[in-house]
Amino acid sequence: MAPAVELQGITKRFPGVVANRDVTFSVQRGTVHAIVGENGAGKSTLMKILYGVIRADEGTVKVDGQPLALHSPSDAIDAGIGMVFQHFMLADNLTVLENVVLGAEKRHGIADRARAEIERISADYGLNVHADDLVADLGVGIRQRVEILKVLYRGAKILILDEPTAVLVPQEVDELFDNLRELKSEGLTVIFISHKLDEVLSVADSITVIRRGTTVATVDPKSVTSRQLAELMVGSELPSASTDASTVTDRPLLAITGLTLAGAGVRDVLHDITLTIHAGEVLGVAGVEGNGQAELVEAIMGMREPTAGRILLADQDISDWHTREIREAGVGYIPEDRHRHALLLDAPLWENTMLGHQTESPNVKGIWVDAAGAKAGAERILAEYDVRTPSIYVTANSLSGGNQQKLIIGREMSYTPRVLVAAHPTRGVDVGAQAAIWDHIRRARREGLAVLLISADLDELIGLSDTIRVILRGQLSDEFDPDVVTAQDLGAAMTGADQREPGTVADDPGTRHTKAGHGTQGEEEGQ
Amino acid sequence: MKVTAAMSVAALALAGCGTSTDKTPAAGGSTTTAASGMKIGMAYDVGGRGDQSFNDAAAAGLDKAKAELGIVPKEATAVNGEPESAREERLLQLIDAGYKSVIAVGFAYAPSVKKVAAANPDVKFALIDSTDATGANIENLTFAENEGSFLVGAAAALKSKTGNIGFIGGVNVDLIKKFEAGYVMGAKTVNPAIKVQVKYLTQPPDFSGFGDPAKGKIAAAGMYQQGADVVYAAAGGSGGGVFQAAAAAGKMAIGVDSDQALTAPADVKSVIITSMIKKVDVATFDFIKAMTEGKFTAGNKVYDLKAGGVGYSTTGGQMDDIKAKLDAYKQQIIDGKIVVPTKP
Amino acid sequence: MKATLDLRRVGLALVAPVLAILVAFVVTSTVLLLAGDPVVEVWTQLLTAPRPRLVVAIINGASVYYLSAIAVAIGFRMNLFNIGVDGQYRIAAFAAAVFAGQGWLPGPLNIIVSLLIAVVVGAAWAGIAGWLKVTRGVSEVISTIMLNAIATGLVSFLLFRVADSTAGSNVTNTKTIPTSSQVPGFALVPGTPNKVYGFVLLAALVGIAYWVILNKTRFGYDLRATGRSETAAVASGVNVKRMVLTAMLLSGAAAGLVGMPLLFGQDYSYGTTFQPGLGFAGIAIALLGRNHPVGIAFGALLWSYLEQQSNGLQITVGVSSELVFIIQGVIVLAVVIAYEVVRRAGLRMEQRKVARQLSDQPGSPTPEGVTV
Repeated sequence: MAPAVELQGITKRFPGVVANRDVTFSVQRGTVHAIVGENGAGKSTLMKILYGVIRADEGTVKVDGQPLALHSPSDAIDAGIGMVFQHFMLADNLTVLENVVLGAEKRHGIADRARAEIERISADYGLNVHADDLVADLGVGIRQRVEILKVLYRGAKILILDEPTAVLVPQEVDELFDNLRELKSEGLTVIFISHKLDEVLSVADSITVIRRGTTVATVDPKSVTSRQLAELMVGSELPSASTDASTVTDRPLLAITGLTLAGAGVRDVLHDITLTIHAGEVLGVAGVEGNGQAELVEAIMGMREPTAGRILLADQDISDWHTREIREAGVGYIPEDRHRHALLLDAPLWENTMLGHQTESPNVKGIWVDAAGAKAGAERILAEYDVRTPSIYVTANSLSGGNQQKLIIGREMSYTPRVLVAAHPTRGVDVGAQAAIWDHIRRARREGLAVLLISADLDELIGLSDTIRVILRGQLSDEFDPDVVTAQDLGAAMTGADQREPGTVADDPGTRHTKAGHGTQGEEEGQ
Repeated sequence: MKVTAAMSVAALALAGCGTSTDKTPAAGGSTTTAASGMKIGMAYDVGGRGDQSFNDAAAAGLDKAKAELGIVPKEATAVNGEPESAREERLLQLIDAGYKSVIAVGFAYAPSVKKVAAANPDVKFALIDSTDATGANIENLTFAENEGSFLVGAAAALKSKTGNIGFIGGVNVDLIKKFEAGYVMGAKTVNPAIKVQVKYLTQPPDFSGFGDPAKGKIAAAGMYQQGADVVYAAAGGSGGGVFQAAAAAGKMAIGVDSDQALTAPADVKSVIITSMIKKVDVATFDFIKAMTEGKFTAGNKVYDLKAGGVGYSTTGGQMDDIKAKLDAYKQQIIDGKIVVPTKP
Repeated sequence: MKATLDLRRVGLALVAPVLAILVAFVVTSTVLLLAGDPVVEVWTQLLTAPRPRLVVAIINGASVYYLSAIAVAIGFRMNLFNIGVDGQYRIAAFAAAVFAGQGWLPGPLNIIVSLLIAVVVGAAWAGIAGWLKVTRGVSEVISTIMLNAIATGLVSFLLFRVADSTAGSNVTNTKTIPTSSQVPGFALVPGTPNKVYGFVLLAALVGIAYWVILNKTRFGYDLRATGRSETAAVASGVNVKRMVLTAMLLSGAAAGLVGMPLLFGQDYSYGTTFQPGLGFAGIAIALLGRNHPVGIAFGALLWSYLEQQSNGLQITVGVSSELVFIIQGVIVLAVVIAYEVVRRAGLRMEQRKVARQLSDQPGSPTPEGVTV
């Protein structure tokens, strides 16, 4: 029997880069096939080609042995290919039924026939989705299943899932994998894109690794370890998030007490947040997105006015300070969304390396911008933090994500900070840049900074933090000890599923995630 | 802002002298056949030929001169929001092109005519609606709109049953205030107790009040609702809206510049009891004719009641019953027994 | 490397306006052909070197447009659409004219204080919109349009109060400025007695100040950062509300100066025939000049040039003056599109260049970004 999907020699060039080069692999019917690769390896481009969003320059796509010319997603849908995007495309104020039939009205109408079809698909594949629920009321996990149902409703036999677990907590991931196994047993084919190797190993029947735009190997999950897989992805030895001996002091640098931020509704966005970070300490905050992390950071940075509570920087009360004063006082800030909050994309790099520090030496003299000083500072930061760029005059837009993030971290570390607030510092960067960024955070810790690390990557949190707190519905949990806590424990706390006493979860060290005891790397910097 | 730049001030006239029952001044109906080939330059205000109003009236005079006197005309039109220098340049280029007699239409040309005339003493200028620029080679052609408006004001008071009439000015500028002054005085002369509602549609430099029927309609409808039964529309193209409001309310209206009972749509003709006529076409033609005859006279030529430059129309016969009274007032003005003010 | 990049940038910056002018040329020619007008004569007339007196008129017109466009550009640089320059310059010119006309102060002092009044009044009028945006979140587009209408009403109301008109005149003016306070012109262009406004210098000064403040000061950096990305500016510590208010005040202050060359160099009073519509021309010219002080200067000259050509078109070629509007409109539209096209092309070129230079670097086989 012909494979469900077969790609042969797919090549796609964008100006200046080859996104895919000679990509070749095939997917058997009734299997879950994972595509792994670091960010920027070309996975997304490949999937867009398969879904008809963009066209390959060379190569062939065969479905069930038949060559296909995919000009648009509707061609792909006709060929039985469906795609579930990472970001859901659902209208909140419509019901599941309405969302599903939207754009597919011709298939089963928009009323009872459609409702029956939805219920049938839901029952057949164990999706547990109900046609008349309002999407606004649904959780992330169910929304994802609605997206899957949407695709099945349109007759897809081959499902592409783009990083489906990125938005899920561990328990939801397990549910998703159960669904995928169900789909597989019904004869459907699933192509699953991820860079989370443990997940891939647990669910996939076959794994294709992509590196730098091309397929380097297709492997059997039973015969590889996640470490081998990662090395295939990176093409070199793998860094890991871990810290060396504790550097925590008893000198509090950032102390927050009773911080509350009223919300639009009845519930506070942040409620009675109290935490203390000492010099040389990394405090990690875990949580499902939208539980108040962003607001916590913005309150600390003076971008939101707290309703109640105090924020102390060393022994100064900065609760009422303006953002600029807070930054000048030595709070470095790595925002969650670097494009929106940390960069002027159209401005040259040297103007970006002074952003947030445009009142500090060497960037200004009095009211004047000291362009020469700022440029020299930029050269130094870019060299020291290994930002790969031909010059300080190119725009920030022309750098890769990893280089942009290294620039931001270099910048925030270069103006003698005392506290570093880092929100998702490695989100969307490649493995190489991730390792460098981890090094910089370790160095900050070693140099006696107090670091607030907010991340969705539990391994990163466990690896880098001295203390972990979980934020749920605007409230902080008690402390977890990263040496003993597991991702499962954190996941439970993140969803509120655990009502046991937090901090006493050291029951099963055997299930700990990768916390390899690497020594510190990165002695290469130095000022 | 669609600044219909300055000028449309003029905007008040529709062509159509031949429709008047009044006598035209000077050699209006002349049949002189001096195929002179004389070059006459014409600088219009914004809107130019085809504005259905003031500029068109001047154009009508030019056309008549072309047909009857064989002159060679050259026309140029002002551009919205142009600088003063562009107006000067317009006059200068006409002169450069050999047009030694130039008619500047509208008071906005006053500063440019003043300057250009001084620099070109051999060129003769006619400046319509303004006395702000004078000189040995400038003839100022102005109109006693206040006198004509006095008569229609008197007519309004005579026709009104409610003792309540209205005045709608297009744009609140001095020129239109002249209309208001005459209208109010005419009405009060007939009926000292009469109530006159006054409204201007826009303020300068927004000159859209001369070309916005919707504004005219709303303003007039308001006046009719507040008891007015005759409204005088001194508002150029906005007058069409006033007539519609009058028709809708079953009341009366008075037109301006030309005999609008002849040019208005059939459904509103009956509400236009009379129109205040301002003979820009005649003034234009007179100037050209004088030029062809080599008889230029500098200074202000006032087209008043006496000269027949303004008047009222009788189309439709609604003036028949009061024509005698109006003509009596007219005679008193001509005789200087009634002096009509130019400011309200 | 800097030099080559900058050359490239200059080249890119020139491509857009040239492209736009070419498009305008083609579209206009098409319109002329369809209307049966003489295409060759029109372009001959438009492209013939203007007479000296016309050169003076073009420079004078451009100086006024330049000030207006700078006022608009200040807002544009931080994504504020100050549509209200039109109202701001009129109310400021009126206030300055009323004061200057009184002649309370001797010559030059009278001019200086009048300029200050214009600046303050313009800034205050724009400040209303800024204040509404900051405190009430009212879009400055809406509020400045409203304020234009209010300025119109207010000025004409006040004008009649203070008018100094002669009997029989149809023009309403403020008192004429005393001769000692009129700003003499420069006989810059030979071959004509006409003079260039003395306040051409004012326009140049404002242009220089605009460039220095925006590019050389901390404040300018904050303003540009806010324009490029408000969110990033907030995170960098810019007080965006204060910035919005300040930028509106500055824009209004510059708008206040727009009428000054006219007031002190030509009309010597404010009246019903004071040149209208300058604020709107300023918007188009700021777009045309890409908010760059030199670009705006060229835009203002082009605008003024086209406008002054309308007479020649009518009188020499016999084509309607509205043709100039078509050309102006098409140029602005084409420029906006061309800039975006060129911007994207430039970004692609730069990304490719960065990628190429990085792949040329020795030791690049390691995955991008790994510390070695």
